[in-house]
Amino acid sequence: MQYIDIDAPGSNQLFIGNEAMARGALEAGIGWASAYPGTPSSEILGSLAEVAKKRGIYVEWSVNEKVAIEAGAAASYAGIRSLVAMKMNGLNVVIDFLSTIVLSGIGKKGLVLMVGDDPAAHSSSNETDSRPVSKWLDIPLVEPGDFQEAKDMIPYLYDISEEFGTICILRSVTRVAHARGNIRLGEIPKVVHKARFEQYFDPAAPMPTPIMCVPSSFRHMFQHMRLDKIREKFETSTYNKYVGPEKPDLLIVTSGSGWLYSQDAVNALKAENRIGILKLGTLWPLPEKLVKSCLSKADKVLFIEETDPFLEGVIMEFAAGFSPESKRNLFYGNHTRHLNSFGELTPDAVIKAITGVLDIPYAPRDADYMKKVEAVPQQYVMDRLLTFCPGCPHRASFWAIKNALAMDGRHGFVTGDIGCYSMALGPAGFFQTRTHQCMGAGAGLANGFGQLHRFGFDQPVVSVVGDSTFYHSIIPGLVNGVHNHSDFTLVILDNGATAMTGFQPHPGTELTAMGEPAAQISMENICRAIGARVEVCDPFDLKSTTRTMLSMIEQKEGARVAIMRRTCELVRQKKEEKPYKMKIDPEKCLGEDCGCNRLCTRVFRCPGLIWDPVAGKTKIDEVICNECGVCADICPEGAITREAVA
Amino acid sequence: MVTKTKGMGELFKEVINKDLCTLCGACIGDCPYTVFYRGKIRMLDLCTREEGHCYGYCPRTRTDLDAINNKLFGVPFTGAEIGTVKDVFMARSRDAKVRSGAQYGGTVTSLLLLALESDLINAAITTNTDEDKLPEASVARSAAGVMAGAGSNYMAYPVLEALNRMPKDSKEKLGIVVTPCQAIALAKMRLDPPTQRASLDNIRLSVGLFCTWALAYDRFYEFLKNNVDLPKVRKFDIPPPPANRFDVYIGKEVKSFPLDEVRKYRMPTCAYCLDMTAEFTDISVGSVEGIEGWNTVIVRTQHGADIIAEAKKKGKLEIKDLPAQSLAHLKEASLIKKARAVQEIVKKTGDKNDLMYIDISHDLKEKLLGHKVGAQGGH
Repeated sequence: MQYIDIDAPGSNQLFIGNEAMARGALEAGIGWASAYPGTPSSEILGSLAEVAKKRGIYVEWSVNEKVAIEAGAAASYAGIRSLVAMKMNGLNVVIDFLSTIVLSGIGKKGLVLMVGDDPAAHSSSNETDSRPVSKWLDIPLVEPGDFQEAKDMIPYLYDISEEFGTICILRSVTRVAHARGNIRLGEIPKVVHKARFEQYFDPAAPMPTPIMCVPSSFRHMFQHMRLDKIREKFETSTYNKYVGPEKPDLLIVTSGSGWLYSQDAVNALKAENRIGILKLGTLWPLPEKLVKSCLSKADKVLFIEETDPFLEGVIMEFAAGFSPESKRNLFYGNHTRHLNSFGELTPDAVIKAITGVLDIPYAPRDADYMKKVEAVPQQYVMDRLLTFCPGCPHRASFWAIKNALAMDGRHGFVTGDIGCYSMALGPAGFFQTRTHQCMGAGAGLANGFGQLHRFGFDQPVVSVVGDSTFYHSIIPGLVNGVHNHSDFTLVILDNGATAMTGFQPHPGTELTAMGEPAAQISMENICRAIGARVEVCDPFDLKSTTRTMLSMIEQKEGARVAIMRRTCELVRQKKEEKPYKMKIDPEKCLGEDCGCNRLCTRVFRCPGLIWDPVAGKTKIDEVICNECGVCADICPEGAITREAVA
Repeated sequence: MVTKTKGMGELFKEVINKDLCTLCGACIGDCPYTVFYRGKIRMLDLCTREEGHCYGYCPRTRTDLDAINNKLFGVPFTGAEIGTVKDVFMARSRDAKVRSGAQYGGTVTSLLLLALESDLINAAITTNTDEDKLPEASVARSAAGVMAGAGSNYMAYPVLEALNRMPKDSKEKLGIVVTPCQAIALAKMRLDPPTQRASLDNIRLSVGLFCTWALAYDRFYEFLKNNVDLPKVRKFDIPPPPANRFDVYIGKEVKSFPLDEVRKYRMPTCAYCLDMTAEFTDISVGSVEGIEGWNTVIVRTQHGADIIAEAKKKGKLEIKDLPAQSLAHLKEASLIKKARAVQEIVKKTGDKNDLMYIDISHDLKEKLLGHKVGAQGGH
């Protein structure tokens, strides 16, 4: 296995974008890294954790993004270069802190926030573009256009952060964070980190204390002055570049993933002589002189961005202030509907935008081509349901929740949250989840629904959250619910892992990010201390879990908690052998007959069970069945049996 | 055939969601999609089969009474007040212990005990009262078990679930005690026997209970909980007309409620029921108007006649002729139930040609529609 701290300066290494950023942080001499996992940002901290001890840095999976950034700021205040990583959802969680640290300033050493955006929301509940936060909150922001920049920009950003005393943001997108490319390595400095919080009361000191935001207007003005200076710095940054003819017919202005896509598109159109590209790496504060000089090259300007028209907005706003004698450009982009402001950017989308502006003939492949392409893998790859793994405890948990809600009969429902169990919106969880927003939202909504009985509301409300989510953002919701007598059931699916993002530790697990013994925080003790009735059950015991759920749903008032505890199957199978040998007796299997109608393969739908349409019976898929044994309790005929493996 | 069957979705749409379910239990017990919970049949998941036993056996889906009567008794359904009759008389158990725990004369308990004793059956499926005084199905395989099941709390309970739960390969000979709607479901099962369940031939004796209406489990239970000390309740009783009371035996005391108060908790579906005397069984048993401590017994099949003969031979039952006046009143009450059901159905459907689930001859329909029913009463 290759670690990101490989000691080979000058060599080329194949890294994913997140590893490149982590390597960049090592080359910048960081001493602190904290994060909360979230796709596509998780590998930044994950790869640092692997080398943390060796490199003498501290790496922490924090309980949530807000704690991660505040803890990271403390390191900066004590003189340690500090990195904080999160996905764009996490950025929303830390906005409050960001809005104050831009006023209070950072410590003597740099503080860099890496935000991973997920355009098209491949693994997210939204596709928010993080870049506008830079303008909104006055934070310098850069965006790498390729893997090398993803690494190189980090030391650069720490220098900016320290020179001007401000937090800085690096924004990346999934296709930069997760794609793999060649990186030329730099040197990792040997830094002896020495932390001390100096308490100078002298306002002229490098870091006067107390660290505070007042007088806010003054500090706000001061941050704007800093940005003006940083703007000057950015004017000459090598991360901004123009390529193309001196007088192009069209100027593309782009950043991030748009940089490579734009080059591809111009190549495909063979329009290198007609189109110039201004690639910006330092987005905010906008390097205005550079932008203005490039705008003067062409009449037509097309903005290529993923996801929001951020540069489009700030540059058009900037150009609106040009003097009447200045060159006026024709701007194209999202506002002219040449490009979408949602979903992922693709070379095709860029080509379409360019040919919409310039009269360049382009013959895309015939309309059937895409169909043909899609048909090829279908011959070899079978349709697969978006679902839980075979043996996943969530499937059993939702089975019990579903049955309890159906038996209760008052049209109860589940408010969902963020994790693998988000899939309960669909067949994986029997369509039980009725709301799906951000982390903690399910419990918050349940608080509200649970108060509506005074307006005639009589449906049971079940908020389903994961264990990591519980620590991250559910506890306040439970406190609120108990305190205000809100009527809902909180179900914590405790699988002992932050499973969806790659099994990162959380406050309930045994080890820290650095592999050291952690103090495990008992969620049942927390819930009981809050004053909630708490029941712990094993979701694989369907009967007793269903009974527990019923008794929870039927409780007359107050927030109560059912902890459905069973280790994530992917974690379990790394440590243990399969517990059972599953068998199906075809004589007993009713198949589609009355009395069964394929309950296991039509409703329960564990991928370990397959329907044999020829025999009209269910079979075990021995390759993927994890032999958890739950389907034996689903089968109405006792045709599925589990035999304990000695 | 009984009807063209449909599936579970239609069962819920046409019957259960319309509050027409009788809680017979024919649709549960051998189906993973339906379950009985707190007084209601609940759908756990939708079965997508176009045809299902659940729909076919339901006593509130189209029911060809002629076919049933032919199957059970070899004659068509004529609409005779108390159904197909071999013999009718009044009886009571000779065992005082049986009588004290049972309803009226303890005839049902005596017959089940005799059937077990003489190996006619190995198990009796009945509705018991559990510790909370809620009904529950019981499969009694001993005299003590049968005795424990004696008595009624007048709440509807899906006892056929217990029959559906019998293992497929079971050879156990069964006796079963059912209400009229449950008897109809059972008869519909016999017309189109399930292949995936224990054989219906295992049922050697079916005993029907007279019924004017049954109480809705959930709502009536709330009423009881609020009005009597349930754990101390020994027995519930509706004495024969014209008493018009609901008696609750608590320890040595009896607390009486006007029947009208209790009647509020009737199952809505009972208004559409044709059958008071459980016409589709081997033997039907009920109270005797004006005479406490005795049962009216209607023998309908040879099976029924045989066990009565055995009971006589072994001296288990004391048997007397039913006074002509009692029989006449029973017939009139039964006819009124039929007529009222048909008239209520037409009121509901608004169409004389739409009798919901009932499939009867035109003449019989006209006769029942024309019969004067008077004020709602009964039991």
